[in-house]
Amino acid sequence: MASSCVSYEGCNFFRQRLVLSTLSGKPVKIRKIRSKDDNPGLRDFEASFIRLMDKITNGTRIEINETGTTLYFQPGLLYGGPVEHDCNLQRSIGYYLEALLALAPFMKNPLKAVLRGVTNDQKDPSVDTLKATAIPLMKRFGIDGEGLELKVLRRGMPPGGGGEVVFSCPVRRFIKPVQLTDPGKVKRIRGMASPGFGLSLIAETTNGTFLSAEMASNPPGQGTPILPEELGKNCAKLLLEEIYRGGCVDSINQSLALLYMTLGQQDVSKVLLGPLSPYTIEFLRHLRSFFQTMFKIETQKPEEDGKGGEKVLMTCVGVGYTNLSKTLK
Amino acid sequence: MEEKEHRKHQKKQSGPKADRKKKRKAPGAGEEEDGRRRNPKAFGVQSAVRMARTFHRAQDLQTKKHHAPQVDRSALEPPPVVIVVVGPPRVGKTTLIQCLIRNFTRQKLSDICGPVTIVSGKKRRLTFIECGNDINSMIDLAKVADLVLMLIDASFGFEMETFEFLNICQVHGFPRIMGVLTHLDFFKNNKQLRKTKKILKHRFWTEVYQGAKLFYLSGMVHSEYQKQEIRNLGRFISVMKFRPLVWQTAHPYVLADRMEDLTDPETLRINPMCDRKVCLYGYLRGTYLKNRSQVHIPGVGDFSLSDVSFLSDPCPLPDSLKKRALNERERLLYAPLSGVGGVVYDKDAVYIDLGGSHADREQEEARPTAELVQSLIGAQATIDVKMAASKVSLFTGSEPLRQGELQEEEGADEGPKEERVWDPETRRERRRAIFTEEEEGSEGEEGSEEESEEEEEDSEGEGEAGEESESEEEEGELEKQPALKRLRVEGGSEAVKEGGGIEVPAFADSEDELEKSEGEVEESEVEGESSEEEEEEEDSEGGGRKAMDSGNCSEEESEGSEVDSPLLEELGSKVKHPKHKEKALEEEEEEEPCFETAGELRWKEGLAQKASEAFLRQQRSTPNLRKLVYGTVAEESEEEESGGGELGGLFHVSRPESEKRRRADGLDCSHYTPDATRDWDQQEVLDSIRDCFVTGKWEDDKDATRLLQEDEELYGDFEDLETGELHQGDSGKQEDQAEEDESGEGEDEDGGKVKGNAEGEKQQRLDKKRRLKERFNTEYDEGDATFFDDLKGEMQRQAELNRAEFSAVDDETRVQYEGFRPGMYLRLEIQSLPCEFITNFDPNYPVILGGLGASEGNVGYLQMRLKKHRWHQRILKTRDPLILSLGWRRFQTLPLYHIEDHNGRNRLLKYTPQHMHCGATLWGPITPQGTGFLAVQSVSGTKAGFRIAATGVVLDLDKSVTVVKKLKLIGYPYKIYKNTAFIKDMFNSVLEVAKFEGAALRTVSGVRGQIKKALRAPPGAYRATFEDRLLMSDIVFLRSWFPVSVPQLYNPVTSLLLPLGEKESWTGMRTVGQLKHDLGVKVKPNKDSLYKPVVRKKRHFNPLHIPKELQRALPFKNKPKNAEKKGKVPRDLQRPAVIKEPHEKKIAALLAALGTVHNHKRKSAQARQREQHKDFLRQRQKQEMDKMKRQKEARKKMFRMIGQREKKQQKSSLKGAAQHD
Repeated sequence: MASSCVSYEGCNFFRQRLVLSTLSGKPVKIRKIRSKDDNPGLRDFEASFIRLMDKITNGTRIEINETGTTLYFQPGLLYGGPVEHDCNLQRSIGYYLEALLALAPFMKNPLKAVLRGVTNDQKDPSVDTLKATAIPLMKRFGIDGEGLELKVLRRGMPPGGGGEVVFSCPVRRFIKPVQLTDPGKVKRIRGMASPGFGLSLIAETTNGTFLSAEMASNPPGQGTPILPEELGKNCAKLLLEEIYRGGCVDSINQSLALLYMTLGQQDVSKVLLGPLSPYTIEFLRHLRSFFQTMFKIETQKPEEDGKGGEKVLMTCVGVGYTNLSKTLK
Repeated sequence: MEEKEHRKHQKKQSGPKADRKKKRKAPGAGEEEDGRRRNPKAFGVQSAVRMARTFHRAQDLQTKKHHAPQVDRSALEPPPVVIVVVGPPRVGKTTLIQCLIRNFTRQKLSDICGPVTIVSGKKRRLTFIECGNDINSMIDLAKVADLVLMLIDASFGFEMETFEFLNICQVHGFPRIMGVLTHLDFFKNNKQLRKTKKILKHRFWTEVYQGAKLFYLSGMVHSEYQKQEIRNLGRFISVMKFRPLVWQTAHPYVLADRMEDLTDPETLRINPMCDRKVCLYGYLRGTYLKNRSQVHIPGVGDFSLSDVSFLSDPCPLPDSLKKRALNERERLLYAPLSGVGGVVYDKDAVYIDLGGSHADREQEEARPTAELVQSLIGAQATIDVKMAASKVSLFTGSEPLRQGELQEEEGADEGPKEERVWDPETRRERRRAIFTEEEEGSEGEEGSEEESEEEEEDSEGEGEAGEESESEEEEGELEKQPALKRLRVEGGSEAVKEGGGIEVPAFADSEDELEKSEGEVEESEVEGESSEEEEEEEDSEGGGRKAMDSGNCSEEESEGSEVDSPLLEELGSKVKHPKHKEKALEEEEEEEPCFETAGELRWKEGLAQKASEAFLRQQRSTPNLRKLVYGTVAEESEEEESGGGELGGLFHVSRPESEKRRRADGLDCSHYTPDATRDWDQQEVLDSIRDCFVTGKWEDDKDATRLLQEDEELYGDFEDLETGELHQGDSGKQEDQAEEDESGEGEDEDGGKVKGNAEGEKQQRLDKKRRLKERFNTEYDEGDATFFDDLKGEMQRQAELNRAEFSAVDDETRVQYEGFRPGMYLRLEIQSLPCEFITNFDPNYPVILGGLGASEGNVGYLQMRLKKHRWHQRILKTRDPLILSLGWRRFQTLPLYHIEDHNGRNRLLKYTPQHMHCGATLWGPITPQGTGFLAVQSVSGTKAGFRIAATGVVLDLDKSVTVVKKLKLIGYPYKIYKNTAFIKDMFNSVLEVAKFEGAALRTVSGVRGQIKKALRAPPGAYRATFEDRLLMSDIVFLRSWFPVSVPQLYNPVTSLLLPLGEKESWTGMRTVGQLKHDLGVKVKPNKDSLYKPVVRKKRHFNPLHIPKELQRALPFKNKPKNAEKKGKVPRDLQRPAVIKEPHEKKIAALLAALGTVHNHKRKSAQARQREQHKDFLRQRQKQEMDKMKRQKEARKKMFRMIGQREKKQQKSSLKGAAQHD
């Protein structure tokens, strides 16, 4: 009776697989997780992620073999409600938050997650960036209202951690289709600098697109400390690069936008993106194996110079996903 | 058609009407007529409250008309309308279908099995299906019906099935229902007929809706219904509008009208009970269906579609819409299960049913259905055998042995190859060859040679030679297997398609390649052979060509080919396409850092180069990017299948493997690290994003200066009243601007004011102004755009976008993006259906493939709101098996009933309430909330009474249950100190007590208390405090709630798998009561629960003992000795009871009555006598009184006389003594 299992090898794109498995209800099996590594099996941050998934769901079945190289994940129903989680310090809160952003609208109860750990690091999108880019993006898909909030209560840097973030999100039965084809022009650039740690820059356009770039300094004791001026300059260059790529969704949120498009009602959604990141490309493949959705991918060359690089127009028909967890009163 | 000349209306010239009109037209009469003006009071506001109410009511009515707007997702070319004909047996269902078919197509279909599709009009097709009297069929067909023709035997009246079906419809969304009364000719009395019609009609209306259409078929003529009545019914059907039903619009479904068994005959021979590979055909309805999605076949189970492809429509609508009516050729009829259908289109073959003697015989046979199944199965087997034979003969020349092996291999493993097996006739060998080539990579020459030959044949085209040769082969094979009835015809529409396939765009071949790598080429129907040819050539050409390809393809593709050197690949991708270069760099960063600089340099040159190559890249980039994203997965899986990249069977290529591994265990991060190629310090690099900012150049329609200018042009004219200066907007500037735009220079220029204000220009401007103003006014006045209007507009836009987005894409690609569209005729392949489905196939039972949404294939706990049907006789018991129809499914499960308490607790109920809703929790398939369901206790046979036991709706889905039942734990005090007591026997261990510390207690007498602490001994005892002192005789209890577990039974009703004739006898799990009844097990009830006759104990009283002293003190009469003496009546003096016979009773009664009369008489006589006596006494007294009076008088008189005499004597003595003496 249970849906056919989807099987993968290796630990890459671990979050995507678990998130899509939970949304589609298909069990997933991941084999050979760092099987050739000196230290085989799942890392602590992945185990912490699995624990978070267990907290927000009901009835999830997780089987891990002794070495931790094989994981079987049978998803339950998304439950939500108040959740507290101490994130592993190897990855920042952004790692966990990205998954929550994708799952939060489809819970039984509105999610109110308190995440503790590292808020900014060099690997993952920082909470500031996600707050400035992902939240407005969710609003465009009809996930808005006073419930949608991402609050940074405390900051914490590696290796100590100690940051705290509250993410709350309302529940939706359907996701609206979107047509985001005009990114508009950059009208203001803002940023958030945390002294001595890093910088996150956000460019806002006339049409409500947010493009971001961020950079964090080396954690104490690892590598040479970077001069603040240099860091700022490099970060500005990153932002210019992001603007060059352009699109209506910035590069870290591409997969989120594509996910919401897929889970929308059975209507055509369109979104203009910059060049697809490897993460997004893999995500598209995963979307196909979990939801049988294929995107129509068209490259658009800007008609004149001075408008940045090539853009990609992604079009798809939503699968007509309904929130199966929400209770009917 | 010519316009009919209508009679003109003649105006009245005289008479009162004409007079009135004349009067009205007369000048000065208008005011007089106007009531509002003449009598304003009559139209004034009388009451503000009333006015407000009227307004509210009007608004309410208006708002009531609104429906929540929905995006119109209906198909442009809709599938045939499903018309289910339902009714009790022998009511005339088959006859009605036959008559309707005959009415629409002018063909007579004598034997009907399964769905029959016909073209009924220019825009409408109909699928008729007859619904048997079996509740399984009724449930299944109610879910797919668009229109229900409900036949009612008027001579009999309504039957239970009719109401059952109506209720099934109600639960699963209400399709259109039309009643048809038959057997009206049974009524001889006209009055009776009318009365019956009326009664039936009103009953029907209460069930469906007021005014629902009810048709009367008055009688049969030559065992057919009357032509005119059928025609009217047909007209109604063909103009009917259908309502969109929620479940149907949200799920794809196919009502299968054709079935083929594709199982390999060899596996079938080895194991006749093996799972079958089956192909089902039908129109897709509902919504988009994705390939490889999950479906549920009601009556069989859940399956995933292994392959879906669309075929050309076997029953297409007429092309041109110019004509008014259909001609004979367009009135198509398609009913493969009935053995009719004329032309049958398979994936790439066309079959024509030759009919003839064979078909006739089939239809005349007594058991046509069984025969049909037999013939179907027989035909497939023969084709397979035949195909296998031809295979050997074809390849014996080159490598016969290998071929044989290959064939076996392919037979053994499942996959797209097996589809080929089904494809009969000449083309199939070629396709196989392609496949072997792909697999082995060594047999290119053969395949291509053969293909080229065949292509020649094809290109010779319509030439009869090719056709003949093929048909000859065909005939030869036919001779071998005479059972085959079909003849494949090449050419025709197929040939045209193939011809079309040759002209593919330049990049199409790469796309084909992609599809092939995905293992999906097989499905493509439109894909021409020629394009396959090209692929063949490419393959055979080998490495060099590949390397060239990889230049404009992604690295993934070249990785897949495994032949190219990695270096070449990197270089190629970098040079051609910056995007791919980025990707490649990311992959290879550590290994080849030297390329970065090279790339950078390239890029700087590229600025100039880019423009020249732009067009080319634009052309290529689309398929490339698609391939980059979707190509790799398939290739990887292919590699896995083939078991490692082996080159030519000798060398093992290790590089891609290792890279894959590295990628597989890479860092999971969504950041997109930029390549370091762009140096943002350089001005020209910065220039590349200049226009991304608001400070950059804007597009024409958004440019601020431009817009300002336009504004100025409109509103620029003004007169400065202070100075008296006249300013005028400059019109010339705009023209300048336009010129500049055309020339392509986008620089701002200072407004060189041209002051040529010619008269014409001014006029023009004024005109423009006026037009703009008009537009503004219309928008402002009409568009009091409410939220509703906005929403509707938005939905409309979305619907248009949905329609337009993929309309330009060819179907083959389109189905990949959006899935198969409703209205397409599909071929759906399922890998492992149970063999009973084939062996027991009966086309009279509907086969429905219902698509399942995401995670609808899982099972979990469902919470529902349920109500026992008010027509069902008995209430339902918790944990008794019940058969539910929910979503597409029919399944048996064990529900728990519960009701929600005020605090939100779900308390278990033993039985459903009689007339109330209650909750039900069960283990079953995950189905979206809000879906309706119905429950029956059994689907086998017909039971007396109404079979639908309950209806309801799904409320919640969860993986855990929250139903509880009440549990009272009882204990006894064994030590009591004031308000504290030690209680035992409630728990068994200290741990148990610890769990309940602080819990509330109560005694039977109502004293409340609390558990304090466990005691060491006896185990389970504890100390508790109470609000009052307990007694040792008190019983203490603790009220608690115990979670109940829901039994995990999900048992799909597999009615289609049952043998022929037994399909209506599915019995699943039996209830305990049924089991006991069937097995003859007696219930052993608790003795205390039994009802026994009340036996009163004889009460024994001891004799009263009075002490002697007391006895002595008693008075004499009270002494027991004396009391005993006079007490009892001796036995011989007791009179026996007399029991009278009825006869004696009567006598006694009569005597008693007589006695009563007598007594009454006597009494009244006595009374009368007493009265008389009283009178008499009164009279006597009176007489007595009178007498006494008289005597008194007399005595008085006498005594006076005596006294006088004495006086006299005295006197005389005194005087007269002397005298006397």
